[in-house]
Amino acid sequence: MPPKEYDPDHKIDLEKNTCPNREQRANGTNVYYGKATQLIEDAKAGKTKCYDRELQQTSGCVLNFYLTVRVSTIRDAAIIYHGPLGCSSSSLGYREIFRSVSPELGRDPNFELNWITTNLQQSDVVYGASEKLKNAVLEAQRRYDPKAIFILTTCTSGVIGEDIEGSVTEIQPQVKAKIVPVHCEGVRSRLVQTGYDAFWHGVLKYLVKKPEKKQKDLVNVASMLSYTWQDRLEIKRLIEKVGLRVNFIPEFASVEQLEQLSEAAVTAPLCPTYTDYLSRGLKQEFDVPYFLYPSPVGIKNTDEWLRQIGKHTGKKSEIEALIKEEHEIWVPKLQAIREKLLNYKDDGERLEVLGSLGQGRLLSQIPYFDELGLKSSAALTQDFDNLILDDIESMVNDVGDFEILVNTFQAAEQGHITRSRDPDITLTCPFQGGAYKREKSVTRLHALRGDADPWSTQSGYAGAIAFGEFIVQSLENKSFENVMKEKTADSYKDSWYQQPNPLKYVNRESSK
Amino acid sequence: MSSNENGDVINSKNNSTPEYSSHELGKEFVEAPKYSCALGGAYGTALGVYGLVPLLHAGLGCGLGQLFGQLYAGGQNAGGPVGGTSTATTGLVEEHVIFGGEDKLRKLINASSEVYEGDGFLVISGCIPALIGDDVDAIIREYEDKIPIFHINAPGFNGNSYEGYEIFFEALIDQILTPLPTEKGVVNILGVVPYQHIFWKGELDSIKKLLERIGVKANIIFTEPNGFEKLKELPAAEYNIVLSTWNGHRVADKLEEKFGIPSIKFPSVPLGPKQTSHFLRTVGEKLDVPSEKVEEFIEQEEKRSYRFIEYSGDALLIVRPHSYFAVTADSNTAIAINKFLVNEMGYLPDLIQLTDNPPEEYREDILKALTEGLESTIIPEVQFEPDSHIAREKLRDRPFQFLFASSLEANSSLPELGALHVTVAFPSFNRVVLGDSYAGYAGGLRLIEDYISNFAGPL
Repeated sequence: MPPKEYDPDHKIDLEKNTCPNREQRANGTNVYYGKATQLIEDAKAGKTKCYDRELQQTSGCVLNFYLTVRVSTIRDAAIIYHGPLGCSSSSLGYREIFRSVSPELGRDPNFELNWITTNLQQSDVVYGASEKLKNAVLEAQRRYDPKAIFILTTCTSGVIGEDIEGSVTEIQPQVKAKIVPVHCEGVRSRLVQTGYDAFWHGVLKYLVKKPEKKQKDLVNVASMLSYTWQDRLEIKRLIEKVGLRVNFIPEFASVEQLEQLSEAAVTAPLCPTYTDYLSRGLKQEFDVPYFLYPSPVGIKNTDEWLRQIGKHTGKKSEIEALIKEEHEIWVPKLQAIREKLLNYKDDGERLEVLGSLGQGRLLSQIPYFDELGLKSSAALTQDFDNLILDDIESMVNDVGDFEILVNTFQAAEQGHITRSRDPDITLTCPFQGGAYKREKSVTRLHALRGDADPWSTQSGYAGAIAFGEFIVQSLENKSFENVMKEKTADSYKDSWYQQPNPLKYVNRESSK
Repeated sequence: MSSNENGDVINSKNNSTPEYSSHELGKEFVEAPKYSCALGGAYGTALGVYGLVPLLHAGLGCGLGQLFGQLYAGGQNAGGPVGGTSTATTGLVEEHVIFGGEDKLRKLINASSEVYEGDGFLVISGCIPALIGDDVDAIIREYEDKIPIFHINAPGFNGNSYEGYEIFFEALIDQILTPLPTEKGVVNILGVVPYQHIFWKGELDSIKKLLERIGVKANIIFTEPNGFEKLKELPAAEYNIVLSTWNGHRVADKLEEKFGIPSIKFPSVPLGPKQTSHFLRTVGEKLDVPSEKVEEFIEQEEKRSYRFIEYSGDALLIVRPHSYFAVTADSNTAIAINKFLVNEMGYLPDLIQLTDNPPEEYREDILKALTEGLESTIIPEVQFEPDSHIAREKLRDRPFQFLFASSLEANSSLPELGALHVTVAFPSFNRVVLGDSYAGYAGGLRLIEDYISNFAGPL
């Protein structure tokens, strides 16, 4: 199937079972290496494509790329994975992670994480498993008395052609909870962002209610797990200071918070690419205004993010007063970090940083690094699509050109670019295949979980300082990187690094 | 002994023959089972062998999913140099479902053999190739004379992680191993499943060192620097030693059938002095080790162990003596801990929940290992329960003061059940396990350290 032409004003069709893939919706690509300016040009000309790699490395699918985790944190809901049990096993640890956040910090003391796998067997694959799915729904209702039951689909349920909607229609009258099917079969898309859209499609179609009344002081903020518990506290602190309330979804939200998304004054993103589908859907169906850029990362971006909220809530002057007040506390601290980083090298050159980012973070982090006095000569992003075209263009105008490698956790490619560019600091996702074995600094890019330590804040003003200090710390001791480099085996042969092309194994004949 | 409608085994002291019935566990939907799928188990097992490079013929996210659900869950361990996001995969999506994934696999094998450092390669096929009918074996045959490579069929809907371990070895025996002359005094160690048994590294290492002391050479395969070579040496052993009531049994039987290697089977990895001495005596006898040599070592180790255990006596007797305990763990772990706490620490077994869903034919042996030869007058109630929700419900309103379980139970143990918790089993997210284990004489001391530290304060 050739991709449909990109349509920026696409309508969200809630009559359908699910969203279109990002490949079709936004000409997404999973492979690119080149200047940002070139990428923008290519994307505009419709030349960006998805390709198969002959050496592909495991990288998360539409289902398990944290979709599982996000959905399963919804407080009074249950989740059913309709598949073999391995598809859901990544959920094993999340109950305890969130139970470890102290109630004093605002965790619901009764927080539970309820999930069931239909545990598909050979016989189910042959004869179908709709009875099993229906029984699992009934049992979820009985066990947890949830307000919503999410059904997450898998490769296997997709390939054997399970009629999920049929089962839902049949069983819904028997259960009190609203059943929400989410079509996140791993095989359906090369781009993990499709999973977020699929989830929001389910939320918009089945959960969001018609607004009873508009709540002019309510701000929808779509959070995600790679922003931490402390980020939530920081955002809440700022928003509440001007007399507004924050509706954090979906992590740790109640089902009611999802139902009332339609009543908010504005939808504000922590990550624009994650929130895109929801924001557009809420605007289209319920006339909730939204903005996508910027995210509250770094001082300037946080200022602008707050101003956008001020614009939609009639709080312009309160927001200006807040910004002024906050700057007095935080700007001198940022200046001190900036000075330290600018003076780190004897030759007066800026430190170079290489980050692995989602495309949403790409937009917010690059200007923030500029604020810190760092130079992003190259950036890695998991995927790239036309939804951020305008924003990346204006960012490149502001901070200058840089190189982008688009790949979703392709460890060999990332190792290659890390070695060839040799930046001073590499920011990595924790599981990025050995990129930490080097002589220079490596630290994590984000916390990946509901980390409740103030040290892990990355959003808002407090986050701009905390993460800046984090970067400084990473420069102070490189013994781990050095020892690992010297004493442990590399995964790949030297010849891999010696040949010049990190995308050597991309099969250009396989364009989709 | 009798059983209720849930398949729980209710023991009473008067009946000696174990009887039980069980619903068809594992065939139904289940909440938070404490294992992953066959692909997850085979993948973890492969990563335990140094020098072996796994290639996943599977969906894009199967490897990353197993990084979270199998590897991190096995004591917060990453996958090593060829695990995690370094693992190659065909990354199948819709087009491959329609047109087949064979071409993609061929390209992946070619590219991987160019790029990865490795002694051998292993293709692990997941759900999608099984559903669309890729002929993977035919592709593997194309590489027969070019690179050392074998293939495992491990669709998730065919079984769990423990199944993944068995089929790993079965495929290896069928496709790679050839007969070798028997080496006297060499044994293969089977039944410890990497990652799934969270102490696998320490356990295997301890067993190897213990056997070394009585002159027996153990081929433990996993964690050895030349793992792929060690795999190929399996047919040379004089005996297989199986340290589980059910894991590794199929492998051992196949090794016997194909290479004539007999097996010595134990219900678990030995924990603490009594189990370890019994283990050494049994192995010594089978392998014709002079008994003086064995007894001399046992005497020396027991003396040391019990002297050290004595140091914990005050803390134990003043604060939590003769306590009831419960275990929610896989059979191997439960059997070893139960015997040690009952027979050496004077504790009382209240409830034992087995989470590993062992096949019917092994359950009687497991029950016997849990209920026979106990020095307490109390015999534990045993439940086979892979569903974490039901297991949690069944833990309520019982007398136990300690819960030996996975980290899933860690946060609720004290507030909900009033029990002190020790993480001893999969999944283990709150306990990093590198070389730690409860195996052998030192393992008994380690378990004491872990559970007494839970309550010891100023006396």
